[in-house]
Amino acid sequence: MSTDDTSTFDVLCEVIAKDHGLDPETLTPDTPLADLTIDSLALIELIFTLEDRFSVVADNVPADLPTLGSVAEYIDGLRRCASDPDAATADASE
Amino acid sequence: MTPSSQMGSTPSRTPKRVAVTGFGIVSPLGNDEDTFFEALKAGRSGVRRLDAPFAGRLANKITAPVDLDVSAHVPAPKLRMLDRFSQLALVAAHQAMASANLQLNAEARARTGVFIGTGYGGGHIIDDGYHALYADGATRLPPFTVLMAMQNAAAAWIGIELALSGPNLTFSTACSSSAVAIGEAWRRIRSGETDVILAGGSEAPLNFGTLKAWEALRTMASEDPNDPAASCKPFARDRSGLVLGEGAAILVLEDWEHALRRGAHIRGELLGYGLATDNEHITRPTIDGQARTMQLALESAGLPAAAIDYINAHGTGTQANDATETAAIKQVFGTRAYDIPISATKSMHGHLLGAGAAVELVATLLAMEHGILPPTINLAQHDPECDLDYVADGARSARGVQIAMSNSFAFGGTNAVLVCGSAPRNG
Repeated sequence: MSTDDTSTFDVLCEVIAKDHGLDPETLTPDTPLADLTIDSLALIELIFTLEDRFSVVADNVPADLPTLGSVAEYIDGLRRCASDPDAATADASE
Repeated sequence: MTPSSQMGSTPSRTPKRVAVTGFGIVSPLGNDEDTFFEALKAGRSGVRRLDAPFAGRLANKITAPVDLDVSAHVPAPKLRMLDRFSQLALVAAHQAMASANLQLNAEARARTGVFIGTGYGGGHIIDDGYHALYADGATRLPPFTVLMAMQNAAAAWIGIELALSGPNLTFSTACSSSAVAIGEAWRRIRSGETDVILAGGSEAPLNFGTLKAWEALRTMASEDPNDPAASCKPFARDRSGLVLGEGAAILVLEDWEHALRRGAHIRGELLGYGLATDNEHITRPTIDGQARTMQLALESAGLPAAAIDYINAHGTGTQANDATETAAIKQVFGTRAYDIPISATKSMHGHLLGAGAAVELVATLLAMEHGILPPTINLAQHDPECDLDYVADGARSARGVQIAMSNSFAFGGTNAVLVCGSAPRNG
C-alpha cells in the first residue's frame, strides 16, 4: 500500500550514484547498465535495494533490463501493483 | 646456488634460483614498506584498543588494526564486491607490482601466478550475514555473499585486476598459510613451471564473531594495564597471549634469470622452504615438529645450520609457542642458538594469522636490505625457558647478516619455515 510518490528513476540514480561514486546528473534513462559495470549479480543487488526502498517484491525479474530506464519501469510496475489491491491480488502467484 | 642457464619456458630439472623483486604491504605498522620498516626499526607498536561499535561487548579489546582508506585505492563499485581481506590483498598486490616494476605482455601474464594464504577468507560478510539472518530476521542475504566470503576471493581478484592468468591458488593452513603460499610458489618457480608469482597472504579477522571465537580460545593477550600498545610480549615471562591483527603482504617472486633479463632490482633471494606437520594435538606445538621443519628448510636450501645469521621467530606471545620455539631453535642450532639474533616482530604488528608469515618475510628481507634488525619489544621480564638473544634492547645493526630464517607454526600443526638471503647474492 505504497503512497510514496518519489520517482523510481530518481531513487535508482541516487542509489547508483552513491554506490558507484558518480554524479547522479550523469545518469539518464538510456544509460546502459553495462556502462556502469552492473552485471547480473549487481542488478540483483540493486533490485534488492529498490524492493526494500519501495516495499515491493520482485519475484520474476525480467532477463532483459538493459538500461536504467528499463529497471525503473519494471519497479514502477511493481509499485503500481502494490498500490492497487486488485492488481496485487492478481499478481500474488506464489 | 648456481644460477640456472635455462631460459624459463619449459619445466627443467635444474633448480632455478628464486629472486624477490618487489613487495606490497598493508599492516598495522603502516601501508607501505618504508613506513612499515620505520616503525619496526623504532620499535613502534601498532597494537591498540579496537575502536569498533561492538568493542564494548569484547572481553579483550586489544588488536592490531590497519588504518587505511581503501576507497582511495579501489573504485567504489568494486569495493562493494570485496570483503576486507580481498581489499587489503588487492592494495598490497598493486603495490607489489609497482615495486617490482613488472610490465608483462600477454605471454608473460600467462606465466605469472598468484598464490595467497588466508586463514579466514571473507569473515566480515559471513559475520554480517549471520547478524542479518539471526538478529535482524532478514529473509535474504546480499547476492555477493558467496563471492566475497570464499577463501580464494583475494587471489581471484588479484588475478582479475592485474590480468594474471598463470596458476591461481589459495592456501589455508591457519597461521602458516602465507608461508605455505610463498613456499609452494618458490617450488613452482624453482622447477621452471612458472616464471613469476605474486605470493603472500591476507587476513582481516577483526569482526565481532571472529574476535569472540578467539576470545573463547583463551590465547589472546590481556591488556597491559599501563600501556595497551605493550600488550604483546613474546618470549617474556609475563607474556599472556597473542594479539590479533589484520593486513596483507604480497611479494613478487621471480625466476632469477627472468629478473636479470628484464633488469629488475633484486631485493633478496628465497633459498629454502621446510614443511612438516605436528600431528599430536590440534593446537599444542611440539619441539620436534618445529625443529624438523627448520631442518627441512635448511636442507631444501642446501645450507648448514651454521649459515643462518638471523631468525624472525613465530614468537606469538603465547606460553606454549614461545617456550617450544626456543627449545626447537636450540635443538636445530645447538649452542650456536645463543649467538643468533631472533626478532619477534609480532610484538609490534600483532599476529596476522594467514598473512603473518608474508609480513614477517618482508620484515626479514627489509632488515637485511637496511642492515638493521628490528627488536622484540615489551620483553623486560626474562623467562628462564626463553633465554636466547631476542634483540630485546632495541634495533641493532644487521652487519654480516646475509641469510635468515622465518618461522611460522600453525593451529592444525602445519609448520612452515622459509629461508631467505640478502640481495644481491650473485652466486
